[in-house]
Formats: sequence, C-alpha cells, structure tokens
Amino acid sequence: MKTATRQRPGTTIVDVTGDIDMGTSPGLRKTLLDSLKRTPRLVVNLREVRYVDSSGIASLVEVLKEARNTEKQLVLFGLNKTVQEVLQLTHLTRIFEIRETEEEALRA
Amino acid sequence: MTIGVVMSCNKENAPELLPAQGASGPLKFQMRMASDPRLLAVVRSTAAELAAVWGFKDEQCRGIALAIDEALSNVIRHAYKNRCDQEIELHCQAHADCLEFIFVDRGESADPAKFCGQPLDEVALGGRGTHLIRQIMDEVCYERLPGRNRLCLKKFLPGARRKV
Repeated sequence: MKTATRQRPGTTIVDVTGDIDMGTSPGLRKTLLDSLKRTPRLVVNLREVRYVDSSGIASLVEVLKEARNTEKQLVLFGLNKTVQEVLQLTHLTRIFEIRETEEEALRA
Repeated sequence: MTIGVVMSCNKENAPELLPAQGASGPLKFQMRMASDPRLLAVVRSTAAELAAVWGFKDEQCRGIALAIDEALSNVIRHAYKNRCDQEIELHCQAHADCLEFIFVDRGESADPAKFCGQPLDEVALGGRGTHLIRQIMDEVCYERLPGRNRLCLKKFLPGARRKV
C-alpha cells in the first residue's frame, strides 16, 4: 500500500493505492491522522484501493472519530465494488461521508 | 518468511490436459506459512482463485478471500500476539457442494464466545473481523485441541445444502 498527499485550499487529499489489510493499515492510520492534524478537511481517495479488510475499516473509523472530536471533516471517494461491499457488510455505509468523484468530494 | 505448498497432483508425470470436471473430483491445497502479515495478500489470492475454480461467482470469491484474510489476521493477532515468526497451516478442501478451509495454529486459545458474531457497535474499532467471517461463510467451527487451535470455515456452492 502507498499513499500520496496533495493540497487544495482548505483541504488535504490523500491518495491511497493498493491493499489495506492488517499489515498495511497501521501505516494508513498514521498517515491519515497526521494529515488530519494539519487540515480542516481530509479527503481520502480510494480509487486505487483494490482490497480492504476490517483492520482497514477500523483505521478509517478511528480517523472519522478523531475528525468528529476535532470538528473536522472526513470525506471518502472513489470506492470500488470491493470496498463498498466491505462497508455494507460492516454496516458502515451511513457513518462515512462518501462521494463518487474527487470533484464531488471537494464540494461536500 | 517461509511458505510451503503441497498440492494434490503427480509431479512426476509430464503435464497433461485434465478432463473438464466442473465442481467434482478431489481438490486439495495446503499451505504452511509464517505468521507474517505480508503473506495475507498471497493467501487471499489463492483463496479467491480456488473459489473461482470451484464455481463460485466473482462476488462470492471476493467474500471468501475476505473471510480467509480475516481469519488469518485473527490467528496472527490473537493466537500469536502479532509475532511474525510462528507457523500457521491452511488446508483447503473442495467437496462436491462446498469449499472448506481449515486453519491450524499452535498459539493461545481463543475465546469461543468471540466467534458468536457479536452485534456491531457502529464506531467500535474491533470485532468486525469475526462479524465478517460469520456473515460470509456458511459454517464456522472453532475447537481447541491439545496445543493447537483449529478453525474450520465452510462455504457452500449456490443451491447446495446450507447451515440450518
């Protein structure tokens, strides 16, 4: 798994690539939490994420909780079928702010 | 990182075309691996491909890969306390009506209550792995043997007998 960070006015975008599992989710968690400290809005691009398991979901939940605690915004976009299925199975589709495209995520 | 593979095939003979059998005939696959999270992707791919070969549809193959990944992660995390140098066996057996995956490890015993699929707290950080396994697989059976844990996951082919 790899991440890359981009800046937009008032927003940090983190592009995630690869598989998010037990081995890689700690790194993602750290990247997202570090980015969230420095921005009022964090947008996570999951277009190139092939796979996510419960540890990856847990990392996203943790970042969401931190965003809520600090009154910041977390938006996910680009979820493929695999990621959507995992969110549905874990009943989490409603707690995240999810958009189809980057443009929509930046307007959220 | 160690990985060993035993396949049910005769390696002495020259390769030959096997008759198309569909979901019939014995099919076994065994892996003996280190408890290293870097191997999760390898095991996922193997499980998904095996499921595809045995006739499961794409969505079911993804689900099976996820369940196997979650089970393996649980062994690494809970039985072996995140040590990456312990041994895990995975036995895959294809039956006429289902695929069976059996994990064997020599780590700490699990709490059987945790396999019961607790209701999910929306923002809980843990417990989702077991929930996913029970959502996806048709049968989940854990037993503690002398010095070992044995976890069996079964997924029935569409139309086959399912758990009551």
